Amino acid sequence: MSKKYDVIVIGAGNGGLGAAATCAKAGLSTLLLEKHNLPGGSASSFVRGRFEFEPSLHELAGVGNPDDPGAIDETFKRFGADVDWIQHNSTFRLIVPAKEGDTDTFINENGVEVTIDARMPTGFENFARKLDEIVPGSYDSCMAAFDLSVRMYDAFNKLEQPLKIPTILKDVPDFMRITGHTLNETLDALGMPKKAQDIFNTYWCYMGVPGGIFDFLYYSLVLNSYTAAGTGIPKLRSHEMSLAVDKVIRDNGGDIWYNSEVTKVIMKNGKPAGVVINGEKEVYGSHFICNSHPNTTWSTLFEETEVPKKQLKMLNARKIAATLTTVYLGMDVTKEELGITDYSVFIAPDSDSDKQFEACQHLFNGFCIINCLNEILPDSTPAGTCQLFLTTMSFGDELKGVKPQDYKKLKTKVAEDLIDTCEKALNISIKPHIEEIEIALPPTFCRYLNTPYGTPYGYQLEKWDSMIPRTIQFEQDQPFDNFIFCGATQERGDGYGCAYYSGEKAANLTIKAIKKEGK
Amino acid sequence: MASKVKALKTNKFIPLLSGRQKRFEQEMARLPDMPDQAMVIAKALHPKKQFVKVEEVITRADDCKSFVLVPDTAKGTTALAYFGAGKYLSVFEEIEGMKITRAYSISSKPKDALDGKYMLTIKRVDGGLMSNYILDNWTVGTEVTVSAPEGHFEYQPLRDAKKVICIAGGSGITPFISMAGAIVDGDEDFEMTLLYGSRNKDAVLFYDELEELKKNEKINVVHVFSDPDADTSADGIEKGFITAELIKKYAPSDEAYSVFICGPQAMYDFLDKEIEKLGLAKKFVRHEMFGEFHDPKSQKDYPNDIPETVSITVTIQDVTKTVTGSTNDSVLQILEKNGISAPSRCRSGECGFCHTHLLSGSVYVPKHLEYRRLADFKFNCIHPCCSFPLSDLVINVPAAK
Repeated sequence: MSKKYDVIVIGAGNGGLGAAATCAKAGLSTLLLEKHNLPGGSASSFVRGRFEFEPSLHELAGVGNPDDPGAIDETFKRFGADVDWIQHNSTFRLIVPAKEGDTDTFINENGVEVTIDARMPTGFENFARKLDEIVPGSYDSCMAAFDLSVRMYDAFNKLEQPLKIPTILKDVPDFMRITGHTLNETLDALGMPKKAQDIFNTYWCYMGVPGGIFDFLYYSLVLNSYTAAGTGIPKLRSHEMSLAVDKVIRDNGGDIWYNSEVTKVIMKNGKPAGVVINGEKEVYGSHFICNSHPNTTWSTLFEETEVPKKQLKMLNARKIAATLTTVYLGMDVTKEELGITDYSVFIAPDSDSDKQFEACQHLFNGFCIINCLNEILPDSTPAGTCQLFLTTMSFGDELKGVKPQDYKKLKTKVAEDLIDTCEKALNISIKPHIEEIEIALPPTFCRYLNTPYGTPYGYQLEKWDSMIPRTIQFEQDQPFDNFIFCGATQERGDGYGCAYYSGEKAANLTIKAIKKEGK
Repeated sequence: MASKVKALKTNKFIPLLSGRQKRFEQEMARLPDMPDQAMVIAKALHPKKQFVKVEEVITRADDCKSFVLVPDTAKGTTALAYFGAGKYLSVFEEIEGMKITRAYSISSKPKDALDGKYMLTIKRVDGGLMSNYILDNWTVGTEVTVSAPEGHFEYQPLRDAKKVICIAGGSGITPFISMAGAIVDGDEDFEMTLLYGSRNKDAVLFYDELEELKKNEKINVVHVFSDPDADTSADGIEKGFITAELIKKYAPSDEAYSVFICGPQAMYDFLDKEIEKLGLAKKFVRHEMFGEFHDPKSQKDYPNDIPETVSITVTIQDVTKTVTGSTNDSVLQILEKNGISAPSRCRSGECGFCHTHLLSGSVYVPKHLEYRRLADFKFNCIHPCCSFPLSDLVINVPAAK
């Protein structure tokens, strides 16, 4: 029998990498197991022709700047992981093309008739001023929302200590107010005009839940982290982040086995005791951190009778979060020749986030985020070229009834629809200049992430199952005292920073448990 | 302004917490229905491995045979993965203690996969380990393991022109036979003009099939015979080599066209220069992969004073071994020759499936096979299939799959 590890980490997504790095650095014997040949899950890259594409990252909140490092930068510094961050200092541009019957329309700089065209800067003050310029009278409510967000963030950090509800109620009563209400309810209470709310809510899709469902607190923290200054991207695509942490794990004595899929968890005395790899090799450990989606974990790694009843109930109660469709385009012209002027443009079929969410229940939805990496990294493609990355989301089993043999044609149709959406909204011509194209629909994400519907987002952050309740109830939601989940399915939902945070948290709980056992 | 938030009640918070656990409590304690159709499609198109059996052997020429492969249900493969015309299968074999793989384009059309049939067409190559083994050993009933369909040499309507000049040399005809079949079935929609270079009519593979295929109005077939004595009197036959002039003769003059090329290395070397003369945009010229690269020392940028043999210390999971090999061989070949099973698919540098950590030592990678990611350079990762050792190496390799 091979050696017994202190910790076995299942899955080398961002969460698993963060967990394994934290455990290895703490001196625990650590084995990280990954079914693919590369680390990172979503945080990777791929090459087609003369282009290297970023598969999932739009930008990282919490990179900060050299004077004021953000959370993710601090995590990587703590690990000793070597990543070159490229700073980026704008948030988003939101374009809502005019529909028939719209009255409040105008022709924007691209010559397109729109109801909204909002290019938002970083910094709370700048953001609020810009918002006020577009929707007069919205400045105060916007600043109030940011102010609330900052105060709530402090309160939230107190939650990380053992929770004392009476203390929070006394010190920050607004926390209880906010946490019980949706984003829309709170912005209404703050008196923010509807159109300003629509612009304020643009980032809803980063977490996959709209204003009518999302709680104010978490959304405001998200917007806050992107607006406060200091978003960024790794210089060499996300693959750089994943390889940097891979190196930290190895340098600190941890083992990483790629192409090594956990196919079964071995139970002993009602607790996980080991894993079977690729259906043949057994490895034993005393603690487990699982970066695999709970739906996948319970249905493929355990016998149903071995799964704690509560975990099965949780699977049935929680909604699977959004899944993605992405189109990667290597263009044989520059971004200037193409007419691209922004890194990140959100094109929405309706200004209201709840209506956008409704549209996104389907594969063809008129919603698209178009990113151009060359805006931040001019030399990220060869001279005379640029790369584009189009993203939309959908929910549920939208491929029901699609046969494997019909899938290739469907992919092309969906991609064409997305490209059309961008061409119309920006009044540019993309199609004649496509040198390389790769299309990823939910099955692509299923293949690489092994999650239901291919979701990279975990479970929907509905108000009842949002960050605060998840955080407060984190430990009671874990299945065994030696088996902790990490990744997008946990407290903070999706996002690279959230996943790394969850990996570190699972590792720290594990380290604490092992120390306690030692006594 | 912030005081406005007082309009929101505080009494929703505690019920939110207790309500969450109650919501869990109310549910059934059983697994939800899995998997969804997205996962079904992913698994159907990308099986880890496919177990097949040779059902039929067709002799195409003295040195070339086609093998019809069907699912080996006894081993658990009940259906074959559907594929886009142009994709390849990686064949797994064990030859004299070496576990090796080779990539072969699927020559059957996609629709046949739904009827449980793939066809691989393999031509003997001088010194070709796998091709010679297959031609000498595979007979009806032989059990074979292959990968899922892989590769990117496919028609893409959003990228490629509606008219495509397909240029084939020798067994490079195989992906085009599949594409032509897909056009006839309506699974692909483009106009194909196939320029097929052979020595003479006897050397043409799939001659009768091509005669049949070209009855379709979207398919035109032009044989190009290099043998000066070849009979070129019939229609649709050209003499000589495939040159820029010849491509121009068959290409549309008033609209864009794509050029797809599949053939031996020597053909690429010649054709790349010819195609340059056409002044086509890069997006309109697509190569199938080059295949395994040999003889690194013939390359102009290969360094001097490299030892003939090196040792490689390789760790796969918890097993570490040290082996020796020739600097003429790729890292992958050295592992295979020492009986070590390592991951590989395209063997041309492109797919990255063999991605490996180089912990010490240095390697030579031919420039035209450099498909590594940027961060791979920073963190010393290599593609062993096209990396040739320049010194003793220490590497960490993913498990074979």
